[in-house]
Amino acid sequence: MSPPHRIVLIGYGPVGARFVDELLPAVAEGVLELTVIGGEDVEAYNRVLVAEYAVGATELGAMTIGDRDAAEAAGARVLLGVSARAIHRDARTVELSTGEFVPYDRLVLATGARANVPTLDGVDRPRRDLTSLERHGAALVGRDGDLPAGVTTLRDLDDAERVLATVRERKRIIVLGAGVLGLELALAAAHAGAEVCVVHHGQHPMPRNLDRGGGLVLRAALRRSGIAVVANSRAEAIGFRGADDERRFDRLITADGKELRGDLLVLSCGVSPRNELATLAGLRTAVGIVVHPSLQTWTDPAIHAIGDCAQIADSAGHGSDRIVPGAPAGLIGPGWRQAAWLAGRFVAAARSARSSDLAPLGAVPAAPGSPPIAADEALAPEREPIVMLKAEHLDVVAVGDVSADPWDDDRERPRRRVAQWADPEHDRYVKMVTEDGVLTAFASVGMPRTAAELTLLFERRAELPADRSMLLRLDGPDDDPSTGSAGLAPAATVCWCNGVTAGRIAESAACGNATVDAIGRDTRAGTGCGGCRGRIAELLARAFEADDAPSRAG
Amino acid sequence: MPTAAADTHCPYCALQCAMTLTAADASRSAAPPTTEPIAPVIVAGREFPTNRGGLCKKGWTSPELLRSPSRLLAPLVRGADGGLHEASWEEALDLVATRLRGIRDRYGADAVGVFGGGGLTNEKAYQLGKFARLALGTSRIDYNGRYCMSSAAAAGNRAFGVDRGLPFPLEDLDAADTVLLLGTNVAATMPPFIGHLAGAQAAGGLVVVDPRRTATARLTDDGRGAHLQPAPGTDLVLLLGLAHIVIAEGLADTRYLERRTAGYDAVRRSVASWWPARVQSVTGVPAAMLRDLARRLAAGGRTFILTGRGVEQHVDGTDTATAAINLALLLGLPGRPGSGYGTLTGQGNGQGGREHGQKCDQLPGYRKITDPAAREHVARVWGVEPDEIPGPGVPAVELLQSLGRAGGVRALLVHGSNPVVSSPNAAAVRDGLAALDLLVVCDFVPSETAALADVVLPVLQWAEEEGTMTSLEGRVLRRRRALDPPPGVRDELWVLAELARLLGRRTGFATEPETVFDELRRASEGGIADYSGIDYASLDRGEPAYWPYPRGGTSTPRLFTERFAHPDGLARLVAVAPRAGARPVPAPDELTLVTGRLLEHYQSGAQTRRVPELLTAQPVLVASLHPATALRLGVADGEIVAIENSRGRVRCRAAITTDVRVECVFLPFHFGDDQAANLLTSDAVDPISAMPEFKTNHVRVTRVAPRVGATTARDDRLEEHGAVA
Repeated sequence: MSPPHRIVLIGYGPVGARFVDELLPAVAEGVLELTVIGGEDVEAYNRVLVAEYAVGATELGAMTIGDRDAAEAAGARVLLGVSARAIHRDARTVELSTGEFVPYDRLVLATGARANVPTLDGVDRPRRDLTSLERHGAALVGRDGDLPAGVTTLRDLDDAERVLATVRERKRIIVLGAGVLGLELALAAAHAGAEVCVVHHGQHPMPRNLDRGGGLVLRAALRRSGIAVVANSRAEAIGFRGADDERRFDRLITADGKELRGDLLVLSCGVSPRNELATLAGLRTAVGIVVHPSLQTWTDPAIHAIGDCAQIADSAGHGSDRIVPGAPAGLIGPGWRQAAWLAGRFVAAARSARSSDLAPLGAVPAAPGSPPIAADEALAPEREPIVMLKAEHLDVVAVGDVSADPWDDDRERPRRRVAQWADPEHDRYVKMVTEDGVLTAFASVGMPRTAAELTLLFERRAELPADRSMLLRLDGPDDDPSTGSAGLAPAATVCWCNGVTAGRIAESAACGNATVDAIGRDTRAGTGCGGCRGRIAELLARAFEADDAPSRAG
Repeated sequence: MPTAAADTHCPYCALQCAMTLTAADASRSAAPPTTEPIAPVIVAGREFPTNRGGLCKKGWTSPELLRSPSRLLAPLVRGADGGLHEASWEEALDLVATRLRGIRDRYGADAVGVFGGGGLTNEKAYQLGKFARLALGTSRIDYNGRYCMSSAAAAGNRAFGVDRGLPFPLEDLDAADTVLLLGTNVAATMPPFIGHLAGAQAAGGLVVVDPRRTATARLTDDGRGAHLQPAPGTDLVLLLGLAHIVIAEGLADTRYLERRTAGYDAVRRSVASWWPARVQSVTGVPAAMLRDLARRLAAGGRTFILTGRGVEQHVDGTDTATAAINLALLLGLPGRPGSGYGTLTGQGNGQGGREHGQKCDQLPGYRKITDPAAREHVARVWGVEPDEIPGPGVPAVELLQSLGRAGGVRALLVHGSNPVVSSPNAAAVRDGLAALDLLVVCDFVPSETAALADVVLPVLQWAEEEGTMTSLEGRVLRRRRALDPPPGVRDELWVLAELARLLGRRTGFATEPETVFDELRRASEGGIADYSGIDYASLDRGEPAYWPYPRGGTSTPRLFTERFAHPDGLARLVAVAPRAGARPVPAPDELTLVTGRLLEHYQSGAQTRRVPELLTAQPVLVASLHPATALRLGVADGEIVAIENSRGRVRCRAAITTDVRVECVFLPFHFGDDQAANLLTSDAVDPISAMPEFKTNHVRVTRVAPRVGATTARDDRLEEHGAVA
C-alpha cells in the first residue's frame, strides 16, 4: 500500500482554512497527511469582515471560520504563529522559523496578499524584489513593513484594533484611496460616529468599477453620509506631531498643497500578493505566483498556489512572454472555489491511489507517492467578479466594463446596447450594458432591489426584460404593479379561504344580501378564518351608500 | 347507524378544521344555500381552537364528493379485453391474494410493495405498516408523505430529537409580534390558518419568504410586514445569511445557547462566510431587508419561525430546514413561552401518517425499525418474534424507481395515494406501474393511478368512517361516521384483514377502528410519538390530546419547555452549507419551474377535480409567467403554451402575472395526464430525507401556435375553459 500523500499548506487565512476543511475527511481516513503553517497565531477568520470589526460592529467570534481543533482531531498538524522561511524544492522540504524542515509531496501556497503602502514622504517602504530578498534573506519573508504611529493599513486584526481605538474615541480618520475597501471602512466608521475624510486621486470614487455618472452619484451619497471626499488629489507626504520618539501622524499632504489633518491615516491603496517565498524559491512570479489553470505553478508541478497569491494563466500562450497577463482576483469567492477544487482533486487522487493500491500516475514522476492531477484538468475560469460595496445605508454593485455610453456609435459594437437611469438628486443611478440583450456589465448606486435582480440576471447570463424600466421600478414605492391587493376593486380577493372577490360580494349585496352573515350564506365569504369580515362590512356600507340606502351592514 | 349530527373534521389538509355533518334531510335550513343538493350530508363549521368555526371552499364543498357520479361502487378487475370490469369482492380479493402469493413465491417477499398515504387515518396507516411487514413479509413500504414532510422531519429529529410539526398549539401564534413564514402559502393551502396571523399582521410583523408573490405574501401588504422574494432554491443561503447577521451583530441569545444547545461553535464558523452582500448576490434579496428581518427576529418579542414545503422540497431540503432551525435556536425561540419554531404539515394526517409504520425505516410510535429494542417491543404487541419483522425498506422515490425492474417490486398495493400524478418524474412512474405484474389500488374515485390498476378496490370516504387523525399541532382528533357508505364499498381495515386471511394470517388484523387504535396505543407506548394514554372515550369528551401522551400521563401541548428529546436534553445546532453543484445553473433560455398548490384543489386533485364548484373555479392547468418573460416568449395572457424538458412536456394556458419572478414559471401540480406538472420534475432526492426536488427544475416554454382547422379535444378543453375564466 502506498504511504499517505504528504500535503503541506503555507498560509492559514480564509482560503487556507477552506482548503483544510475540504481535506479533513481524507486526512481522517488516513489517505492524506496534512501540515498547516500559519504565520498569524490566531484561528483563521473571514477577512471580508475586518472593516466591520474595525468599527466595533462585530466580534472576532463571528468572523472565525477556521477550526484548528477539528483539523487536529482529524490528524492534521497545525502550526500557527510559525512562519515558513524557505522552500527547498530539490529536497521537497519547507524550512520553518523554528528550524524544522517539513517534507512534502505537494506544497500549497496560500500566502495571501498584503496591503500596498504607497510612496509617501515619511513612510518607509520595504522592497521585495529578488535582489533585496537575496540580500536580506529570510528576514523579509512574511514580514510587513513598520508603519509610523498613526498610520495603518487595514488587512489584519492588529490593523483593525488601531482603527477601532480611533473610532471609539470618535476621532478623525483620513482614508487614502477610494476603492471598495476604503469606502467600506469610511462608511462604517462614519456610521459608528467617527469623523471621516476620504482622499483619492481620481475624478470620482471606485474608478475601477464605476463610470463617471455612477461615481459622481456615489460621491454625493458619501457626502450626504457625512464623509468628506477630497478628489483629484495625489498624496505626497505625511506630517507628524509630537517629539521624535513619540511622533505620530498629524496630516496628509497632497501634491496640490492641501494639508488634511487627522488622528489616523488608513492606507487603502490595494493589495499585492505575498510572493517572496516563491520568489526566493525560484518560482515564476508576475503580479502573483503564476499557476496553470490546474493551480500548479508554472515552475514546479509539485507546488500549487491558491487565493490572493495565485495568478492563473495558461502557459501555452504566454510561457515565453516576459509579461504574464492578468492578476489574482483579490476576492474571496474565487479563492474559496480554488481551495475547494484543488482539495477535491487531491482527495480523489489519494483515494483512488489507495484503493487501486498502485503507485499513482502523476504529473510529477520524480515523486512516487505524489497524488496526480491530470494535466488537462483545469478549474473553470472565473467570470468577472461582481463588486458590492458592503455598507448599511448605501448600495453599490458593479461588474464589468461600464464605460460604454448610450450614445456610442452602434456600428462599432453592433450587438452592444446601453441603458441608463440617473437621478442624482436622490442618489440613484443605474447603467446596464448588454450584448444581444444579455447583461455583460452594470453599475447600480442607491437602488438595492434593482441591483440584486441585476446580479442574478448577470450570474444566469439571462436576457434582460425588453422593457428595462421594469427593473428600475423594483425600488419604487409602486413596486407591486399588480395592485388591487389593498383596494376593494372588483377583481380583488376579499375572502382568501373561499376565493371570493369584491365583485362577487357586490353582486350578492345587489341581490339583497345586506349583512355580513347573509353574504356568507350566499357566497361563503367570511366563513373561513373570518379575517375579512370587516372588509365585507366595508363593501356593504359602500354598496348601500351608493344606493342612498341606510347601511345595514352587520 | 349514522347519528343525527356527527362532530368530525375536514377530509383534506393537516389543519383538520372541525366540522359537523348532519344528514341532509335532517336540517336543511342550517345549510349554506350553495351546497349542492346531491350531497347526502350538510356541513357546518364547528367551533374549535384551530378553525374557530370557519372552513375554506374545499371544506364547505367536501360532501359533494360523497355521492359523486364518478364514485367507485364495486371492485374492478382488468379483463382480457384490457378494460376494467366490475367484480365481486370475493373474486377481486381472491385474485389479488393468488397473484400476490405467486409473485412472492417466485421473486421473494420484497417483490411486493406497498405505497401508503398521508391522508389515511392513524388506524389505517398503522394497520398498513403491520400488514406489509407481517401479512406480506415485505420491507418495501413507504408513502407519499416522503414528498411533503420528510426533510423537515429529518431536520427536526436531528435538532430536537423529535419531529412534531408544531411543538405548540396553533393558538400560540395569535399573540405573536413576529411570524416568519418560509416557503408556505397558507392562504391558499389551509386558509383558516391565516386567522392566527392577525396579531403579527397588526404588529407589522408578518414576514413571508417566497419566490412567488402568493396570497400569503400579500398578507404582508400595507405595513403589515414584509415579503422577501428570493430566487428559487436560494432559501438555504438566505437562512445562513440571517444567522450570520444575528451572530455578527451580537443578537444571538447566548445564555440560551449555553444552557440548552450544543453545536453553536460549528454553526458560528459555518455562517461567518455568509455576509449580507454575498447573500444578496445569491438570493436577490437586498442586504438591507435581511438586516431588518434579522433585527426584528432578535428584538426579543414573541417570535415564531414556520417552514413549509418550499423549504423542504429541495435536494438539500433537510439542510435548509436545519438552517431554519439553527436560526430559531440562535434566537432562543424553541421552548420559549410565546415563541417557537415549527413546520406546517400538509396532508390531512401527514403527522400521524409518519409516526406509525408507513415509513420504510420505521415502526409504530416513531420507532426506528433498526433499533433492536423497538423491534422487540413491537413484536411483543404483534405477537410475533422480532426477526419476523423485516428490516428497513427503501424510500418512496427509490421504491417507485424499482417498479418492474430486476430485483425490484413486481406487485404494488396503493392506498390513499395517486403517485402517477403526485410523484416526481411522473412519466417514469407511469412506465414503472405499467411494468408491474400486479397493481392494486384502494380508492374511492377512479384516480389516474387507479385507471392503470389491475384491480381497484372501492373504499370508504371520510364521512363514512370512524378513526383518528393527528393534526399539524400533533393533536389527535376523532373522525366520526355521519352516514352509511354505499353498499358496494368496504373499509380498508376490512380489506387488509381479508387479504391477510387469504394470505394465511388469520389473526392480528382487527377491523374495528377502536380496536386497532387500542393496539396502536400499545405499539406506540414508550416510543417518541407515544399515544398510549389516549383513548376514544376521552377524545369523544373533547379532551385535548397532544402527543406524547403516555399511559397514566398527560397531554403535551407544548414540547421543549424544559428540555429537548435528545438524551442530554440539549438541542443540536448542525452546521450546514450549500453543496457545490447541488443545482445546475439553467441555460439562458430556460426558466425555473416552481410547482405548488391552489386554494381550490388538494394534492393530486383526484378528489377536488370531482367537485363541480372547485373544478369550475380552477378547471385546467394554468402556468403563471411574468409579463416580461411572456413578452420575450411572445405569449399573450390566456394562450396555450407547451412547457417541456428532457423528462416530459405539458400543455396549459398561460396566465400573465407579476406574482412570479422573471426567471420562473409556476405550475400547480393538481392536474393529471398531460397536464401533470410532475411530468417535468426530477426524481433527484435529498440525501438524508430522500425527499425529491419539486421547486427548481428547468424547463423551456413555447407558445403553441394557434391551429388552423381541426383542434384536438384537449385544446378545445383548454380553450373553452380559457373563454370561461
